[in-house]
Amino acid sequence: MIRFVAQRLLQTIPVVWVIVTATFFMLRFVPGGPFTAERAVTPEIMRNLEAHYGLNKPLYRQYLDYCGSILRGDLGPSFKYPTRTVNEIIAEKLPVSVELGLWSLGVALCAGLPLGLLAAVKRNTWVDYLCSSASMVGICIPTFVMGPLLILVFSIHFGWFNASGWYGPVDRVLPSLTLGSVYAAYVARLTRGGMLEVLSQDFIRTARAKGATEARILLKHALRGGLAPVVSFLGPAIAGIVTGSFVIESIFQIPGIGREFVNSAFNRDYTLVLGTVVLYAGFLIGMNLVVDIVQVWLNPKLKFE
Amino acid sequence: MKPDDTERGHSPWGDAWHRLRRNRAAFAGAILLLVLALACAAGPLFSQSYEGQNLDLGAVPPSSQHWLGTDILGRDLLARTLYGGRISLMVGLVATFVALAIGVTYGAVAGYAGGKVDAFMMRVVDILYALPFAIFVILLMVFFGRNIFLLFFAIGAVEWLTMARIVRGQVLSIKRMEFIEAARALGLGRRRIIFRHVIPNVLGPVIVYTSLTIPAVMLLESFLSFLGLGVQAPMSSWGVLIKDGSEKMEEFWWLLVFPGALFFLTLLSLNLLGDGLRDALDVRASKD
Repeated sequence: MIRFVAQRLLQTIPVVWVIVTATFFMLRFVPGGPFTAERAVTPEIMRNLEAHYGLNKPLYRQYLDYCGSILRGDLGPSFKYPTRTVNEIIAEKLPVSVELGLWSLGVALCAGLPLGLLAAVKRNTWVDYLCSSASMVGICIPTFVMGPLLILVFSIHFGWFNASGWYGPVDRVLPSLTLGSVYAAYVARLTRGGMLEVLSQDFIRTARAKGATEARILLKHALRGGLAPVVSFLGPAIAGIVTGSFVIESIFQIPGIGREFVNSAFNRDYTLVLGTVVLYAGFLIGMNLVVDIVQVWLNPKLKFE
Repeated sequence: MKPDDTERGHSPWGDAWHRLRRNRAAFAGAILLLVLALACAAGPLFSQSYEGQNLDLGAVPPSSQHWLGTDILGRDLLARTLYGGRISLMVGLVATFVALAIGVTYGAVAGYAGGKVDAFMMRVVDILYALPFAIFVILLMVFFGRNIFLLFFAIGAVEWLTMARIVRGQVLSIKRMEFIEAARALGLGRRRIIFRHVIPNVLGPVIVYTSLTIPAVMLLESFLSFLGLGVQAPMSSWGVLIKDGSEKMEEFWWLLVFPGALFFLTLLSLNLLGDGLRDALDVRASKD
């Protein structure tokens, strides 16, 4: 297994390199620079700015400098927030997104798994139809409809929560519900599908023939295999959740990394775009590796290649 | 597929159609979709102008005159919602078609070529998967300006990856079958074999996945419109309407609720239809 992990980590190096290179040059071909949006500055100031950020050097030189600083773990200075580095911005904003992501993940698992299990066990009864319809509805409500609706009902009408902000524990409730509900719906659907497939297999019939109780069959024998599709889905989903959701963070005014992600692209904040892209790619690759390890653990028939 | 005991044989497509028709949820989805599409296509012809402003009637709640109320500028919300639906559905269809064309061709070529070409092409897909798509589309839109044709292309350009993977997997198994060998023995060219013999045989999974890509594309379009990068005024789409509505929902709830509900119904009907198609075409079974 250690060899498998080492091999996979080695494979990610060229992938990350290609992503950094592609994003770097793509950004530079977008017309307009980080300073063009501001009010006109005199050519001298412009030259100073460019010299300060190294933008006056030839492009290949800038690229090599950037690669060098990334290898040292330094994502460079931000262009839009002059006194701050990308590392600082990420260190400040990422924890907020991660916290929101973990709460949402909790919502997704606590609601999705039981719904999916129930639907699978009570297949083709009204319980199943109810659970399956609920998850279908969850999939079809976009977060930017769900969020405002929750605010409309629970903040404005009932006045139970603040409509926006990220201060007390109460402020976690509505954003986590909004973000978590979509994932809960997918988890429920995938759990149901996975469990139905496993429950129709021979070893379940054997377990039943040997007199195992239904609860034991379900939790001890079927759950492991039935969760495989959920695990595959959760890997990339977690990477997406914890690196922040632009929509949720804008609706609820949460100071997370998801908003920086999109705003940096609008602002042509070259280093911040690159930093967030690398961050996301790193999370995604890491989660995919975790998924592969968990899959082997769940299904002994698989082996580390 | 099980042989039927009636005397006439059944084609696989006939079987699938039969199964689809018996699936009540999928059938309801298809009808709902048809009604919504017709309403969006024909509705703006009969209803009031989607642009016509009447500041005296700014933001009135639903009434017999304006069934869904009016917005801040006194424009009829029903007309705007139907008109927005037109754009949303059109983006959904066209962008999906772009994704389909790229994904199927790419996947078929990779799968058919095999070997190093395949390994390289799929590596590219892996890398693109690791790029956050939002940045990609945002850069494209910022780069080329906010133009609706570009929107089709930009969305299609990020949604083809899964299609390419699915098609490649199918092609890998099909190309080892005898009828492909026969086609090659007849001296047909590569392109002809891929487009005439391989691709028609991967249609099942492609149809299913297409029906599930359309809602994904529509969501992406509305997300972009939400950012202000999508459809530009005076045109509107459901994403634009929902964004406007969510900003003014405290006083004027109908501006959020009606466009949101119509968008929800459309996504629901597409997903129900997609699920039905998957069961009818038995995609999972034919993959193994």
